[in-house]
Amino acid sequence: MSSNKVVAKDAILEDVLPLTQAAYLPGRAYDEMIAPGGAVRPHYELLQDRIASLGAEELGERQRTLERSFLLQGITFTVYGADSATERIIPTDLFPRIIPAQEWAKIEAGLTQRLMALNAFLADIYGDQKILMDGVVPRELVLGAPSYRRDMQHLYVPHGAYANVCGSDLIRNEAGEFVVLEDNLRVPSGVSYMLANRDASRRTFPGVFRQANVRPVERYPDLLLATLKSMADWRSDPQVVVLTPGVYNSAYYEHAYLARLMGAPLVEGRDLVMHDNRVFMRTTSGLRRVDVIYRRVDDDFIDPLTFRRDSSLGAAGLFNAYRAGNVVMCNAPGAGVADDKAVYAYVPDIIRYYLGEEAILSNVETFLCREPSQLSYVLANLENLVVKAVGASGGYGMLVGPHASAGEREAFAEALKADPENYIAQPVIQLSTAPCLVDGRIEPRHVDLRPFILSGEKVVVTPGALTRVALRRGSLVVNSSQGGGSKDTWVLTEEGKA
Amino acid sequence: MMLARVADSLYWIGRYIERAEHVSRLSAVMLNATLDSTQGAVQTGRIGLAALGEPDSGRANQTYEAAHDLALDRTDSGSVVVSLARARENARQVRDQISTETWERLNLLYLRTTGVGVETAFDDDPPGFLNEIIADLHLFKGAADTTLSHGEGWRFLLLGVHIERAQLIARLLEVCFSTGKTPAVSEPIALMSVLRMACALEPYLRVYTADINPRYILEFLLFDEDFPRSIRFCTARLQDLLSQLVRDAGASRSDALRLAGRLDARLKYADIEEVEATGAGALLAAVAAECASIHEAIYETFVAYPLELSLPA
Repeated sequence: MSSNKVVAKDAILEDVLPLTQAAYLPGRAYDEMIAPGGAVRPHYELLQDRIASLGAEELGERQRTLERSFLLQGITFTVYGADSATERIIPTDLFPRIIPAQEWAKIEAGLTQRLMALNAFLADIYGDQKILMDGVVPRELVLGAPSYRRDMQHLYVPHGAYANVCGSDLIRNEAGEFVVLEDNLRVPSGVSYMLANRDASRRTFPGVFRQANVRPVERYPDLLLATLKSMADWRSDPQVVVLTPGVYNSAYYEHAYLARLMGAPLVEGRDLVMHDNRVFMRTTSGLRRVDVIYRRVDDDFIDPLTFRRDSSLGAAGLFNAYRAGNVVMCNAPGAGVADDKAVYAYVPDIIRYYLGEEAILSNVETFLCREPSQLSYVLANLENLVVKAVGASGGYGMLVGPHASAGEREAFAEALKADPENYIAQPVIQLSTAPCLVDGRIEPRHVDLRPFILSGEKVVVTPGALTRVALRRGSLVVNSSQGGGSKDTWVLTEEGKA
Repeated sequence: MMLARVADSLYWIGRYIERAEHVSRLSAVMLNATLDSTQGAVQTGRIGLAALGEPDSGRANQTYEAAHDLALDRTDSGSVVVSLARARENARQVRDQISTETWERLNLLYLRTTGVGVETAFDDDPPGFLNEIIADLHLFKGAADTTLSHGEGWRFLLLGVHIERAQLIARLLEVCFSTGKTPAVSEPIALMSVLRMACALEPYLRVYTADINPRYILEFLLFDEDFPRSIRFCTARLQDLLSQLVRDAGASRSDALRLAGRLDARLKYADIEEVEATGAGALLAAVAAECASIHEAIYETFVAYPLELSLPA
C-alpha cells in the first residue's frame, strides 16, 4: 500500500480505525502510530491494515485468547483474600509498539554508552574516587546516598562490570525524541514480560510479524547466561544460580522463567550453605559449589550479617564469601548508587568525564533542590513540576504538581524546604501515546520503554523492550503497582516496515 | 544432582496429585452407588467415608453433601481442591524444573477447581465433575511422562505417587477386609464398588472373570504384579526408584532403600492363604507403617541430611 496514506481527522473513524466511537485522536503528546495531520506512520501501515481488516469482534476474541494463555502459563500475580486467593494476569495489550531501525540504532548506541559510563563511574566510586576529587559530582551526594555501600570499597569486580543487567526507562517526549527518565541498576525486572509478550504478539499477528522483519529477542536468556558466566572467568564451567526471595515475591514468575530458560537452578536463601567463605547449595547428592549468583534479592536483604539483620531472604555470610572472591553476585551490591535520582542529573557529566563523549540520549531536565537557586525555581513553579524524593521509588514520596491541590503543594513545599537534599524536580512530560485495545475500542494510551542491557565481558542491548502502558485514559503513570499494563515492542530491521 | 528443596517439592506434587485422584474417584463411586437404594449402596458410602478418614458413618446416606465437601471444602485438608492447590503451589516453587506442558495441565486444573463457576459446575453433574478431574489428572501424568526427562526429578515425582498410592489402597483394604472374621463388606454391589474405588474392576474381571469375592479382591489388590494400583506393584516401584535415586546421589547406603526392599520382599513372598489365616489386618497395618518409615527415611537421605557429613574436607 502507499506510504503516504493521509486520513482526514473526521474520517479516521470510518476508514482507519473502525472500532473507535470517538475517533482515535492523539492529544498533544507524540503518537507512535499517527503523525500530526492524521497520516499513519509508514512503519505502522502493515499492522494498521491488519487491525482494520480484522474488526472489533475478532480483535476482542484474540485479546481473550491472549489473556487466557497468560493465565494458563501462570503469568499472574496473586490477590490474597480472607480465605481465598485469586490469580490476576498482568494486563497486556494486543497491539505491538513498533520502533523503526534508525530510531533503535540511536537508542542502542545511547544505552551502550550510558551503561559503560555508569560502570566506569561505579568502578571509580568504589575505587580511587577520582571523579569526586575532580569535583565533577559532589562527594556528599554519592557517599551520603543510602544505596552507597562502603563494604564494596576496593573489591575486585571482573571486567569492572558492577551492573550486569540494566533496565533503563526511556520516554518519548512531545518532540518525538527518546530521553532517559531513569536508570535501573539494582534488580530490574520485566524481561520475562518482554519475552511472553513477544510470544503472544507473534501468535496474534503472525502474518504481519513475518512481513515486518522484526528483530528477535529470544536470545536474551542465553546472552544473560553468557554474561553471568563471563563474571567468573577463573572457572572453566562456573555454576550459575538464580537467587529468588521465593514464591510470594511479585516477580517470582520471572525468576523461575529465567532460571528455566538458562538451565540454572532457582535457589532461595535457605538452599545456600556457607562454609569456609565459600557458597554451596544443598542438593540431593550433598553440597555443591556455587560460583555465580544472579540475585533477584535487593542489596538490603542479601546477607543479614552485612546488611539488614532482620532479613530472612538471603544467606548469612554471603557477603564475606563475595569479599573473599569465592563467589560473584550480579548485579554487584552497591550498584544502585549510580541510579540514584540525584546522581541521575550528573549522568551527562559522568559520560563526558569517563568517555570524553557527549551523551547520545538526553536526560529529562532535572532540578536539584540541594542547590539554593534551583530550589527557589522549584518552589516558584511547583504547579508545573513533578517532585520526587531521592530515596523513594514506585511512585511514593512524589508530588505531581499539575494534579495536586493547592494545599498538597503547600504541604509539600514545607517538606522541600525542610529537607531540600532529599528532592529533585522535573517538568511534567507528556509521554508518547500508542494505540491500545480498551473495552473494545482502540484508544491512545501513554507508554514508556524499558530496554534491557547486559554487561559482562561486553555490553549487549537486546533489540526489543518492555513497553509499559498507562491503562487509564490520560494517565501518565505506567508502574504496574499503579495499574499499568504492558505490550510487546517490535524493533524492525533496516528494510523492515510493519 | 538437584536442589534438595526441589526434590522435596516434586515428591509432594506426586503425593498430592495421587491423593486428589483417589479422593475424586472414591467420591464419584459413592455418588454413583447411591443412585440405587440398596444395601450395597449404603455399604459403599460407609466404605468410602471410612477409607477417607470419616469412620463415623453418620453421613453414609448423605453422600451428596459428603462428596461436595470432599471435593470442594477448602477448610478440609484432605479435600480435592486443597490437594490440587498444594500440588500447584509446590509446582510453582519448582516451576523452573518442570516442563511448560506439565505445569499448564496442573495450573488449568487448579484454576478450574478454584474459579468462580466451580460450585455450579459441581451441582450440575457431581460425578461428571469428579470424573473430569480424574481425566485431567491422567492428562497431567501423561504430559509429565512424555515431556519431562525421566531422570532424578521424575523419580522423586513417581516416588511420591507410589508411596501415596500404596498407603491409600492399604487404607481402603483395611476398611473393607481387616475387621474380625466376617469381612465388613460382603454385598456383591459393594464389592464391585471397592474394585471401582481402586480403578480395578475391569482388570480384575480379566483375571478372575465375574467371580467377585473378597478373597480374590484382596489377592488382586495386594499381590498382583502388573496392576498399577496393587500394593505389590507400588512397593516394587518404590524399590526400583529408590535404588536408582540412591545411585544418582552417590550414597553408599540408605535406610529408605533398605526399608523399601524389605517391604517389597514381604509382599513378594507372601501368599493369600497365609494372609487369610492370620487376617489381612496385620499385613495392611504393616504396609501403612512401613510406608510412613520409608517417607521419613527419604527425607533424611535426600532432603534434611546432616551437613557435617557432606562438607568438603
